[in-house]
Amino acid sequence: METTHTHRLNLLWLKSNPISPRLAIAAGLVALFVAVPLIYIFIRALGAEPEAWQRLFQTRIWKLLGNTLVLVIAVTSGTLLTGVSMAWFTERTDMPGRKFFRWMLALPLAVPAYIGGIVHLALLRPRGGYIPQVLESIFGQPVPTPSPIGFWGAAFILTLFTYPYVYLLSAAAFRSLHASLEEAARTFGRSPFQTLFQVTLPALRPGLAAGALLVALDILAEYGTVALLRYETFSSAIFVQLSGRYDRSAASILSGILVALAILILWSELRLQGQARYTQMESNWRPAPPVMLGKWHIPALLLVTCVVSASLLLPVIVLTVWSLQAFLDPKTLTTVFHIGSQGFGSYVWNSLWSSGLAALMAVIFSLPVALLSVRYPNWFTRFISRFCQVGYAIPGVVIALSLVLLVNRLLPFLYATPFVVVIAYVLRHMPQAVRASESALNQLSPSLEEAARTLGRTSFQTFAQVTLPLILPGLMAGGSLVFLTSLKELPATLLLRPAGFDTLAVRVWMWATEGFYSQAAPVALLLVLASAFPLYFLLRREQIFK
Amino acid sequence: MTALEVRNLVKHFHGTQQSAVNNISFELSNGEILALVGPSGCGKTTTLRMIAGLERPDSGIVCLNDRVVASESVFVPPEKRGVGMVFQDHALFPHLTVSENIAFGLRGQSPAQIRQTVGEMLHLVGLLPLSKRYPHALSGGERQRVALARALAPRPVLVLMDEPFSSLDADLRMEMREHVRRILKSMQATVIFVTHDQEEALYMGDRLAVLQNGHIEQIGTPEEIFHESNTRFVSEFMGDSDFLMGKVTSGGILTEIGLLKQVVDLPVSTPVEIALRADDIDFLVDGSGNSVIVERFFRGAFNIYRLRLDSGQTLHASTSHTQILPVGMRVRAFISAEHPLTIFSEA
Repeated sequence: METTHTHRLNLLWLKSNPISPRLAIAAGLVALFVAVPLIYIFIRALGAEPEAWQRLFQTRIWKLLGNTLVLVIAVTSGTLLTGVSMAWFTERTDMPGRKFFRWMLALPLAVPAYIGGIVHLALLRPRGGYIPQVLESIFGQPVPTPSPIGFWGAAFILTLFTYPYVYLLSAAAFRSLHASLEEAARTFGRSPFQTLFQVTLPALRPGLAAGALLVALDILAEYGTVALLRYETFSSAIFVQLSGRYDRSAASILSGILVALAILILWSELRLQGQARYTQMESNWRPAPPVMLGKWHIPALLLVTCVVSASLLLPVIVLTVWSLQAFLDPKTLTTVFHIGSQGFGSYVWNSLWSSGLAALMAVIFSLPVALLSVRYPNWFTRFISRFCQVGYAIPGVVIALSLVLLVNRLLPFLYATPFVVVIAYVLRHMPQAVRASESALNQLSPSLEEAARTLGRTSFQTFAQVTLPLILPGLMAGGSLVFLTSLKELPATLLLRPAGFDTLAVRVWMWATEGFYSQAAPVALLLVLASAFPLYFLLRREQIFK
Repeated sequence: MTALEVRNLVKHFHGTQQSAVNNISFELSNGEILALVGPSGCGKTTTLRMIAGLERPDSGIVCLNDRVVASESVFVPPEKRGVGMVFQDHALFPHLTVSENIAFGLRGQSPAQIRQTVGEMLHLVGLLPLSKRYPHALSGGERQRVALARALAPRPVLVLMDEPFSSLDADLRMEMREHVRRILKSMQATVIFVTHDQEEALYMGDRLAVLQNGHIEQIGTPEEIFHESNTRFVSEFMGDSDFLMGKVTSGGILTEIGLLKQVVDLPVSTPVEIALRADDIDFLVDGSGNSVIVERFFRGAFNIYRLRLDSGQTLHASTSHTQILPVGMRVRAFISAEHPLTIFSEA
């Protein structure tokens, strides 16, 4: 009781102390950096000739809107179903190998959806896919197989490679749920089944909804997979306008609508963030007893294994086999490991330095914003912090469009340099850094900083000697996340890169879309491995992996 | 010599009507322990934080060793005040060992000097064997002692303690009280100790200041505060008093349960209230008595009975633990105190 009282007092104090002007200016500059590309898109969209609007409205927008929304809804539902059920199996049942499956179910985050799409496409393509070919040779005639092309294929592939977001959130929520909550429901006469649907799942709802909305934002922004599987959405349409026809006003209009849609989703997500937790780990927390699966052990294991196989094992095995083929074929080998400025080493180096620099910049930019919103909470600082998360709602293609136009006009010396790519990564992935920095700072009691002050440290010394060392693990986590997602980023890199600036993602995409699978495979495998490293570091921080 | 002087301190928080601290003044001599006590939200922690420099007063003056550290025109930041603070949550730096935590405030000294001071402090609080541990590997009481050692190590002019025992469980709290008071006295430290626990304040303070709604109700020795409460609030807060109505007569104060033979300097027939604690009241079983037993609380060594007088007034009386009487029994209550009682005139 006294503790909450002091906590309230501290908050009051925080409100009553004047905001440090240096901090406010730094945070304001970051917000400006984020705001310019966003606002510019709207200006260009609204400033486009009315004929362009009319043309688009009469022809394409409604179809694109329908396509995009249907895909978003399908994938979001699919990931919720897969993520929550997988989390229930690993956290709430006595299924064997739960620890192993936790890793297997989270690791598909290291496989970019377009790489997963490439693998499944190669296997299942109606003409020339491995599986149809094998079936044809066995039966002597073509056998109908499900095609990964089009809506169902895109929904299937995207669900397979984005469900881990929902899985991780719901597993953490299942884990943190107090045993007594379910026990209370049982004493009020609910069966275990009724308890799951009437108490457990509703208690997890805010967290799950937030996770689902993040998936929805991801799908709005997705380019690689939908382009590969020839399903047209806003993102892929904008990409075509930009790269092929080069119609900037059409691209601007489509982008404006897409971003408006995404901001709507982001806004709901931010509103949920505040109340994302009904439950929390308390000192008297104890895990709920697992559900005994009994004779359902085998079906449960089969189901989980299916998901793990399709989303992780299959892509990794196929990529490995193709890589081995590449190593056995001297011609492919020389193409892949071609020495010189365009060689293998250069993609790796380009990927690492651009993503690494983006991670560093995003973390540094996030610090003033997070310090301001955590240490001086009021409506204004909260607005700044939320505004800096708008990158979630700006798909890579839109950032690319905005930067192409802006850099041309304002910073021509940056045009066609890799730094534009890095700026795109920072803009797109800064929300992850802001959230990580804020959560690290939130876990730091203000009394630690006050103690340092009473022991003779100035505010700057306090930051350097107490705050920074203590939030560093949290900042590293934020940086890893930005690094990981920048490494996988495709559309902005494709559109913004200067000629000859190849990254791992770009190379995989170029070769795979031209059909050179064995050539793309070693690069894709390396991309997956490079992503798995920061992912491993990030996952180890999660409660369920401790 | 005066170590601390606080004059007319005022502090408002945004969005609140009432001021958190409203015109507080007091002085503290070297080597004295002052306990600031009061209910939640009375302004005691805010006062402490203004003295530390963690908060800016709206108006008023804070002087440390005759140096103004806060006033309308002056604000010395906390790092330049030379006060030591023990926080409610201890605020030990989790990335530093026990030794490093204690050494944190020792700067501008040679490494040998620092090592010696840290050693002395560890010895003083009895934690020498744990010097290399990190805070997470310490028990609550050990953390408490590290926090104290860290605050004392730079020899601050003033030590501020903000509910330092509130995170400890009851047994440990009693033990730490004695231990900490002994350490503070052995170092002749000047201390302000904030607590919401009356008993702890009575134990720790050389003097007590009772706060309510941002102002000091009474300041004085523990005995003065307990026996000679200035206000009804102090009497109620410090000792769970009941208040019995009475009327001044020439022979004392006439109440519902008899005449209190205590002379007061008030005109005859002035209405007054007498502060009564459970040990000031006794009763006898009497079928035609003035009150009824409403409830009995067994407290181990004694019983406390809640009595309802015929007027509806409630009084508490403590009796020996062997006397067990049923609820509803009619009894005759009377004032058994043999010391002067605190009287409040209604005016």
